[in-house]
Amino acid sequence: MDNQEDIKKINSVGLFALIIGAIGVSVAGFGFYQGLTSEDARPLLSWLIGIAFWLSIALGVLFLTQIWYVFHARWPTIIRRQCEHCFSALPWLFLLFLPLLLIPFVSDNPGILWKWMDGTNLLPGGHELVQDDPLYNWKAAYLNPTFFAIRAFLYFGVFIALAYFLKKWSFDTDQTGSVENIHKARRLSSVGLFLLATASTLAAIDWFKSLEYHWFSTMYGVWFFAGCMRAALSALLIYCVILSTKGYLKGVFNQAHRYDLGCMMLAFTIFWAYISFSQYFLIYNANIPEETFWYNIREHNGDGVHNSWWIISMLLIFGHFLIPFLLLLWYKTKVVIWKSIGVAVWILLFHIIDLYWNIIPGKVVDLDASNGYYIRQFSVEVFDIAAIVGIGGICIWAVCSSMLKAEPIPIKDPNILKSLNHSE
Amino acid sequence: MSEIYGIIASFKDTPDLYHAAEKVRDAGFKNWDTYSSFPVHGMPEAQGQPRSKVPVFTFLGGVTGFTIGTLMVWYMNAFDYPLIVGGMPFFSPVFPFPIMYELTILLAAFGTLGGMFITNLLPQHYNPLFNSSKFLEVSGDRLCIAIEARDSQFDRDQTRAFLESIGGFDIEEVEA
Repeated sequence: MDNQEDIKKINSVGLFALIIGAIGVSVAGFGFYQGLTSEDARPLLSWLIGIAFWLSIALGVLFLTQIWYVFHARWPTIIRRQCEHCFSALPWLFLLFLPLLLIPFVSDNPGILWKWMDGTNLLPGGHELVQDDPLYNWKAAYLNPTFFAIRAFLYFGVFIALAYFLKKWSFDTDQTGSVENIHKARRLSSVGLFLLATASTLAAIDWFKSLEYHWFSTMYGVWFFAGCMRAALSALLIYCVILSTKGYLKGVFNQAHRYDLGCMMLAFTIFWAYISFSQYFLIYNANIPEETFWYNIREHNGDGVHNSWWIISMLLIFGHFLIPFLLLLWYKTKVVIWKSIGVAVWILLFHIIDLYWNIIPGKVVDLDASNGYYIRQFSVEVFDIAAIVGIGGICIWAVCSSMLKAEPIPIKDPNILKSLNHSE
Repeated sequence: MSEIYGIIASFKDTPDLYHAAEKVRDAGFKNWDTYSSFPVHGMPEAQGQPRSKVPVFTFLGGVTGFTIGTLMVWYMNAFDYPLIVGGMPFFSPVFPFPIMYELTILLAAFGTLGGMFITNLLPQHYNPLFNSSKFLEVSGDRLCIAIEARDSQFDRDQTRAFLESIGGFDIEEVEA
């Protein structure tokens, strides 16, 4: 980076993001503390959603980068550098995740967020304790706080290590022009994709799915992968368009790149719908209570009356799939800047709703209720917004600091010319 | 002189062909085409061609497939012979979705194939261009532009002079 004007701009955006991030994280952190003291899990779920949203983008670009390496894709070489900047968010996300990980070890109420962490928690309905629950005891060898914490370190270890090496070798190529770096990155990616797929699948199971540890689904990890890819492609498109309109990538990131990112957005929109529907469809057809309850609480209360999640479910079908799908079918949507940005923002918003839908609903023990529990309903809390904005601020600041350390595009990458001259 | 199909001109190399195509486009001709044995990047733009209409056929095929799939399952399971399967409703958008989806894909693919044939005017077993010995060399190393006589701007002498002026050689009239 030599352009003084760009450095100044990036510095000020980074500083602004850091301030917003610090404020947001403080507010969300206050909610976190209050949630712990007042035994209310909702602000902790806000924190989890904030982490989940930004982590899904970071993991998505990590997937994308490795997929591009493995397929020897040449057109996205200029976009790959922007992905590498996004990697810098991962260590900070790990740091921000640590408070959740510490709950079972330092809090008086270890099972406040993940119910299974406290054997003395009442099961919904209030007849039995978690420690007497056969379903928990079968799963206890996997679902116990110590192993859970070890796994979280392993997952982040995989994420951060892959990101570190891919970024290091790519940045090093800027200086040395060494093709060996590209070969190394390609070799790492072919192993890294397996590692990342395993780690992100198990992470989704641990952090989101185990909130309702009674449930079974073999699709869950793939659902998270689909969400990661959609969020990452949309975020990348927005990021690159901002960079090109502000002059940083002007004339470099062109219509053909936007068109191809748009095509991938369409593909993963279909993929997400396919995965989400398959999960529902298998459970619907099998009709086994151990599995159907997860969808039941997302449709109606114990008395069969539709609850707030029903409308969210419908919103996901039409808003997260049908509308972006139909829009992205049109060529114009993929190449006209404001249209493609509109769809990208839309997808990101619905990705957040999708995370809400997967993370928030749950049976909360309430001995005064007729059936001994109530279902946590949809609501947008201040702490949700604070967590999403705050953690986002920290991530964007990390990305900005990374942008100062490298060229805007991998200038000595052997494939750079193919990428610059990319046409539809 | 007999009726002619058009005038064909050859060009030296791909950039020549490309720029000549741009000039023919800018001169306002409509019924003409470029011929080469390999695809030339950016040629549709140089020829001023609009985007392909095939996606429209794909979409219509997909919509037809989806509708047929839905109606078929409804007719069979809920109307003609209502059948209880596994306690599910006679008709719901959930269980027959694989059928709706598969028919959408199948007919969208048929739509694409059919649309490609229709927009390419295929199958077409004969084209008057085959009368030109120069055109037959296009499958080797010749690069050609042919302007058809049915174009409203076509004029035997002027079009020939025009093709010459944009760098064409071996210019000959093609019999209809």
